[in-house]
Amino acid sequence: MTSSPRVDAAPAPAGAASVRPMAARAVGLRKTFGRTVAVDGIDLDVPAGSVLGMLGPNGSGKTTLIRMLLGLTRPTAGAAELLGHPIPEESARALPQVGALVEGPGFHPFLSGRENLRRAAATEPLLGTGEIREAVDAALHRVGLGDAADRRFRGYSLGMKQRLGLAAALLLPRSLVVLDEPTNGLDPAGTRDVRQIIAELHAGGATVIVSSHLLAEVEATCTHVAVLQAGSLVAAGELNALLATGTGGLEITTPDVELALRTLRGAGATAYRAERSPAEEQAVVVGDDGPAAPEVIALLVRAGVAVHEARRSRTNLDDLFARLTEEPS
Amino acid sequence: MTSAVLTGESLSAPHNAPLGRLLAAELRWVLRRPRTLVMLGLFALVPVLISIGVAVANRTPGPGAGLIGAVAGNGLVLPVAAMTLALALLLPLAVSMAAADAIAGEAAHGTLRGLLIAPVGRLRLVAMKAFGVLVVATLATLALAVMGVLAGLVVVGGADGQLVTLSGTAVSLGDALARVALVVIWTVWQLAAVGAIALAISSFTEHPLVVLASVLGGLIVFGVLSAIPALEWLQPYLLTSGWTAGADALRDPLPLDNMAASSLRALCYVAIGAGLTIHRMLRRDA
Repeated sequence: MTSSPRVDAAPAPAGAASVRPMAARAVGLRKTFGRTVAVDGIDLDVPAGSVLGMLGPNGSGKTTLIRMLLGLTRPTAGAAELLGHPIPEESARALPQVGALVEGPGFHPFLSGRENLRRAAATEPLLGTGEIREAVDAALHRVGLGDAADRRFRGYSLGMKQRLGLAAALLLPRSLVVLDEPTNGLDPAGTRDVRQIIAELHAGGATVIVSSHLLAEVEATCTHVAVLQAGSLVAAGELNALLATGTGGLEITTPDVELALRTLRGAGATAYRAERSPAEEQAVVVGDDGPAAPEVIALLVRAGVAVHEARRSRTNLDDLFARLTEEPS
Repeated sequence: MTSAVLTGESLSAPHNAPLGRLLAAELRWVLRRPRTLVMLGLFALVPVLISIGVAVANRTPGPGAGLIGAVAGNGLVLPVAAMTLALALLLPLAVSMAAADAIAGEAAHGTLRGLLIAPVGRLRLVAMKAFGVLVVATLATLALAVMGVLAGLVVVGGADGQLVTLSGTAVSLGDALARVALVVIWTVWQLAAVGAIALAISSFTEHPLVVLASVLGGLIVFGVLSAIPALEWLQPYLLTSGWTAGADALRDPLPLDNMAASSLRALCYVAIGAGLTIHRMLRRDA
């Protein structure tokens, strides 16, 4: 958690990242449906071994971007690459090592969960015919569906369907796992399980791309973040770096709010009252553009303001996300 | 470690699941679908119902008409009659149902995505799906033929286990069964033509009903067109215009020219359907 604040919310340059192998890469990727621009020229590098959280409001192009990366949709312009192979030209080389859950779990209602998985396993190039039964059992247990495996998919709850989709992505060890809204319809225990699975995959050296609108999930599990808005990438980079850019300056907890604001504004600093509930201690926030932190505190102490606490305010991803995707008015 | 996974494995790894395994999985999927089984059961019932109808009608005086009339007292006509009757609408319905489920149905369930991500190569996917449709066509036709022979011999009986041809001669049981087999092969090939077109439509939509409606609508339009005398020049191009050739198997000596001509026509439809399906599936979004 080094906090050397870098104040650029622009997409992170690929400079340092290009040295490491890329698990996925988008270069000027663009997709239009008629007049609608779903994805508008996205450049994105996903370093191998990272866990990339893809954030964005509904309709921001997350799924379309993922579909292009997987070769399910041809881009209107630009190029996609998966595990070093151009997509869709060399899909057959990359995709065997890729597990994916895209746009919800797709299974046949008249087959049991186990039968559905067996069918999926039969199409996996890297799975030996003799290994199918074992792989299916292992995947079912991994997602907690062992007991419901022989019930028809038709009767599964939304969460169970989601778990089965996850199981299909985890049928064999993967280099890259792509999960599109994996926690959809899951109860808190299921959400915890998904977090656990992502952590296991990460620990095993796999790359994970997970799209979500549950920001807390992304903040808890990801090393990298890409934020999309209206088809454009508005921020991308390491989670820590992005969090650091979210500093709102210095947050000073004090009972003498009025005095503090007067003093700071008199010294030419941007200062405003922090939003607090009445139960909490009052605080002011000082912008980065004015005097430096030691100076601010010295000013306040000299003016007789009781400084109870001073800290860099780190916005969490929620604030960052809200800020980045807000329409500028 | 990750770089080893990235480069080492991907170069040596097989890029396709074995074709036999794919076909087996498809077969399993087709045969586990309840509607396939119900449909096959119904096809098995068709010759039985005809045989009962003929047996009952036989007790009342008055000659039966057409192919069904020829079944009376001549059981080995039944399988050929059943296949010829079913080819008009029932068999194409079964085949287009299978083709509708094969691609449009998979797309509607979101399972087409899974197949493409696995990945099943797009050409292999077409092969796998064509195989599934052909299996349904074959099983449905066989259900008609096998139950037709059985019901014909048991319920209708007649002619000392021989087949009396429409030309009035009698042929042996073995010869008759060979003729039934010939009609089975010819019928399946005609259905392959229907299936190829249905798959092509299926590859353009994710609504299975569109496939059913198009194929059945198309057959009806073909029927209407062939009934208009001014459009007689159109006859050689209509798949359905050769569909009475199956009854030729009941003539002696066996005339093969109609069956050959309609088989050639079916080949053209298969080529067009397969071409369109492949063209579309190589580009289709999932």
